[in-house]
Amino acid sequence: MSDPITTASFLGLSGALLGIGLFGILTRRNFILLLIAIEIAINAAVLNFVYFAAFASTPASGLNGQSAAVVLVGLAATEIAVGLAIVLALNRLRGSINVTEATSLRL
Amino acid sequence: MFPALSFLLLTLLVGTVLTFLSGRWARWVALGSSMLFLLEVSGLLSGFSWPGVSASGVPQYAYAESYPWISLPWLHISYTVGVDGISLPLLLLTAILQLVTVLYSFDERRQPAAYFGLVLLTCLGCAGVFLALDVLLFFLFWELVLIPMFFLIGYWGGLRRRYAALKFFVYTHVGSIVMLVALLVTAFYSHAPSFDFAGMYVPAQALGVTTQALLFAAMLFGFGIKFPIVPFHTWLPDAHVEAPTGGSVLLAGLLLKLGGYGLIRWGLELLPTGLVHDQPLLYAVAFASIIWGSVIALAQRDLKRLVAYSSINHMGIVLLAIAVDSNLGLLAAVLLMFAHGVVSALLFMVSGSMHHTFGSRDIATVHGITPRTPVLSTMMMVGALASLGLPALISFPAEFSALLATWDRLGYWVLVPLLLLVVTAAFYLWMMQRVLFGPTEGVPETARDLPWPEALAMSMLVALTVLYGILPGLLTNVIIHSPVYGLP
Amino acid sequence: MWQATYLFDWAFLLPLLPALSFVIVGLLGPRLKRLEHGGWVAVGFGFATMVIGVWIAVEEMLSSGGYTDQQYTWFSIPGNGTGTFPNGFSLVVGTLVDPISALMLIVVTVVGFLVLLYSIGYMHHDGGLPRYYAELSLFLAAMNGLVLSDNLLEFFLFWELVGVCSYFLIGFYYEKPSAASAAKEAFLVTRVGDILFLLGIFVYFATYATSGSAGGWAANGFPFVQGNQPFLAGAMGGHSTTLTIAGLLILGGAAGKSAQFPLHVWLPDAMEGPTTVSALIHAATMVAAGVYLLAVASLFLGFTPADQLAIVAIGGFTSFFAATMALVNTDIKRVIAYSTISQLGYMVLAVGAGFAMVGLYHLFTHAFFKALLFLAAGSVIHAVGTQDLFKMGGLGKSMRITGFAFLVGGLSLSGIVPFAGFWSKDDLLASVYGTLATHPVYWPFFLMALATVFLTAYYIFRAFFLAFSGPASRDPTLPTAHEASWVMTGPLLALSGLAMGAGLLPFIPAFASLLPGAGIPPHYGLSELALSGISLGLAAGGIGLAYSLWGNGKVYTAAPNSALGPVRALLLRRYYFKDAYDAIGLRGLYGLSRAADFVERYMIDGTVHGLERAFGGLSNRLRHIESGVVLDYAAFLVSGLLFLLLFLLVIAPWLVSTGGI
Repeated sequence: MSDPITTASFLGLSGALLGIGLFGILTRRNFILLLIAIEIAINAAVLNFVYFAAFASTPASGLNGQSAAVVLVGLAATEIAVGLAIVLALNRLRGSINVTEATSLRL
Repeated sequence: MFPALSFLLLTLLVGTVLTFLSGRWARWVALGSSMLFLLEVSGLLSGFSWPGVSASGVPQYAYAESYPWISLPWLHISYTVGVDGISLPLLLLTAILQLVTVLYSFDERRQPAAYFGLVLLTCLGCAGVFLALDVLLFFLFWELVLIPMFFLIGYWGGLRRRYAALKFFVYTHVGSIVMLVALLVTAFYSHAPSFDFAGMYVPAQALGVTTQALLFAAMLFGFGIKFPIVPFHTWLPDAHVEAPTGGSVLLAGLLLKLGGYGLIRWGLELLPTGLVHDQPLLYAVAFASIIWGSVIALAQRDLKRLVAYSSINHMGIVLLAIAVDSNLGLLAAVLLMFAHGVVSALLFMVSGSMHHTFGSRDIATVHGITPRTPVLSTMMMVGALASLGLPALISFPAEFSALLATWDRLGYWVLVPLLLLVVTAAFYLWMMQRVLFGPTEGVPETARDLPWPEALAMSMLVALTVLYGILPGLLTNVIIHSPVYGLP
Repeated sequence: MWQATYLFDWAFLLPLLPALSFVIVGLLGPRLKRLEHGGWVAVGFGFATMVIGVWIAVEEMLSSGGYTDQQYTWFSIPGNGTGTFPNGFSLVVGTLVDPISALMLIVVTVVGFLVLLYSIGYMHHDGGLPRYYAELSLFLAAMNGLVLSDNLLEFFLFWELVGVCSYFLIGFYYEKPSAASAAKEAFLVTRVGDILFLLGIFVYFATYATSGSAGGWAANGFPFVQGNQPFLAGAMGGHSTTLTIAGLLILGGAAGKSAQFPLHVWLPDAMEGPTTVSALIHAATMVAAGVYLLAVASLFLGFTPADQLAIVAIGGFTSFFAATMALVNTDIKRVIAYSTISQLGYMVLAVGAGFAMVGLYHLFTHAFFKALLFLAAGSVIHAVGTQDLFKMGGLGKSMRITGFAFLVGGLSLSGIVPFAGFWSKDDLLASVYGTLATHPVYWPFFLMALATVFLTAYYIFRAFFLAFSGPASRDPTLPTAHEASWVMTGPLLALSGLAMGAGLLPFIPAFASLLPGAGIPPHYGLSELALSGISLGLAAGGIGLAYSLWGNGKVYTAAPNSALGPVRALLLRRYYFKDAYDAIGLRGLYGLSRAADFVERYMIDGTVHGLERAFGGLSNRLRHIESGVVLDYAAFLVSGLLFLLLFLLVIAPWLVSTGGI
């Protein structure tokens, strides 16, 4: 019996996650939804790291992919922390978390 | 062995930093630092002995030091410094001009600490350029020069200082980038084992003719903007006119020499075949600079502009002397750079003092100043006569050698620079006729002759002009100790 | 028996002593009020220089034609066995005492000392005396250096230095615009000659360096050393075209310095300087340097027949051309200045015809009588305060010594026996006449020179009669003339003696050894005597014409002037040469320069500014895509990613498959 999880289906899953993330990034104007979309896109990358680590020639080098995945999860968490801090600040300053309205950094 | 050159750079750096920090004592710190600099260079000169070319054909350097800086499998950058007969006279020029510039502007009132600090920083950069023997170190110092000069023009300059400073920066920076690319391509394309001069020497010379020609042309553009060569010269008159006198002195005396030095060290020595291939281009550019600089100078009314255009003419002769590619030509090029450094510094000081004293540098309206300001007038006379190539003054042996070298390679084409010597004489004599001579009415009663710091600074330059004019052997005996002479 | 160790080794003192005087007077002069602002210091150094110079000349006479050369390396380049200068080379300076330089030393140091002494009186009332004496001392130093040069480069070096001294001294009254302008003109016109001279040096150098035998170049620097002549002749043997060009270039340099056609314009204007300067520099010594150069070149470097013809033509024509301009001039100094150009033309003619020694003989006598004429004219100007001949008159009664001196100078210049000018001019004409049989092409120039004898006698005696004969001063506004003190009359008398006797010196065998060669002292055969008769007759005729037209106060009759009509205007405008040169300089060169300046400002810089505006405008538009909206940036990011993917996955494989890369 063949393994039901093929490379193609796995890549399809992570590609779909990336697509959903990108779609969210491009269309959402609410800062919080934007952050969620970014998280989804990052998860696509994490998934790839974990999957391809299983094909490593030695267990030691397989750890490289897995540790990268762990670092990425940590990165996502810090990013959320910073992002939410910005959301709070934005809300306090402008009373809105619509990202298209925050253009004061423009030259 | 004692790391003399590193010690020199270190003392310069310490002097510069102290000057920045020392507030109203800045001028004394700067003066002390300049004297120390001159003393150190004199020490280097007295102990100078050139080790010659090594058995494998790679030139070696006096006081050489080399420490690895960035070491990667594909990139070897090092801190390598050393001097030979080409760089040592220019280092001496740097020390002299730093001292006289500090002395000349001794009474600077606007932000003196920053002013003297920037002057010292400019000279530090120039000294570094003359000492560095590694592409990246060279480039670092090369760019270091740009910044203090930008601020000197931009803050202490005349009415259009922002325009001039920006123009200066953009022009020379474009040149720097082309130069860097040419140097890096030379290093990578020849698979040089390292970025220092000795590492690049043999591989670069082995490059093919077309490659060398293209790279040399790129270097001509890159270094040429500093020269400056026609038609990339228009930053120079503006920068000179707007810069404060000290800035003009360093600009004409040192910054222009960086181009000439770079073209000899990194162009001619690394890519000799490229130079020979590019000779027609070089001759064209040199003749254009000689003719254009001299002819336009005749029409100028601002003394600083006039001297600036005559600098273009003189640096054109330097380029010509480099282009003919003979040992006499190179001797002449280095000698002429030194001579021009001293003489143009003197003339820019004269322009500055004329401006202080009479409120104008317009040679068509200021006239008959000799009885009122005899010292200033004498300085102007010596400067003008030296610049037009009078024997017994410093430029003559240099120009004579340059023209002889040109004759030797180009035959009767030497008539072009020769005839332009008449034009050079014409505009200096006309300037003297109008400014120094003529009716003395209308000279302001309040005009005072030079204050002592300015008089002292100029006297030192006059003394050098006469000394090296009568005894050029003092310099030539140093210059010949360099690989371009190919001595056994 | 004398041993040749005496003062030859100390010849370097000759340039050094006056140079020292230059430094002392220049720096301390203003403090030396009681020494006439340093004037007496300069006179003292001048006297010492004269003693040494004459001493060396006498020793040279006694050493029967030997020479002493001392060389010092100026700077050198070692050879590396390859390249252009395989043996390297040295540029040397040195002092060479040989017969002709000894002769020149007498001229320079004696006239120099006398003029310095005379200046004490003449310049007494002028300001700026330290400057004057310092510059005059520097001039003496440079001129001695030039005379003692042992190679072309050193010659050129001092040549330029005397030029710059001349520049400063012409412009001595710098507040006068005409003086400042004349100084500049003199420097620029001679500079044109200098450039040709320098190129000539290069040509000699190249020929010499490439064809000379090994070591010659390296050892001697520039080819201008006595004893090298055979070697040089051999080296130059196969290069007659090059040699011709080199000779012509040297001629160009000499023409600039000696004010020969067409570079003659500066000398009359140089009369803006003090009269003493005119006497020393623009008559006796510096302008003679060109002739000296030609003589030296003909002795040591050699001229081709084509060169000789050019030199003869220039010399003969100039002698006549300049004399015509002197005919109508009313400025006493300018008349003498034109006569200087004319007489220099004689010397050039002689050198060109192959008689360098005869040319130098005339240079020697001319120096004394021309200095005498100028100093006498200076004495007149000092007394009456004008240079206009038509405002003088009758000065012969009040200024007997000056009148006598001017008469002696005039007779000598006219070539009346037995004055100095007679012997040398006669020898000169006879020598050139001797070449006519083999070189018939010299005929017109010989005839011009002969006609000049008549013109010369006429114009100098016109000046003499106008100034010294007739009723006393016609202009009541001028001060009463009287003779000056001994410092002025002393030199006049000394020079009068020389102007009478110097021509006879070569009849002393020892002195003749300073002018080794055929024709000195002159040999008088039948044809020479006939020629002497003709030229004496011409001179006497000229004097007679001058007397009949201008003698005894006939100045009021304007007939001689109007008779010339439009020719007079042409002569007074100096054949429009100066106007033409001014036009070339002002309209031509300056106009070109203004045009170039326009191109610089509006085309080159215009292009730069255009580029600046173009980039500025472009970026002004582009900056609008920076909206500040995060989502727009995200969109750019994603489209960039898509483009990269497209390129890597689709375009690049396609390019590779079609062989495009």
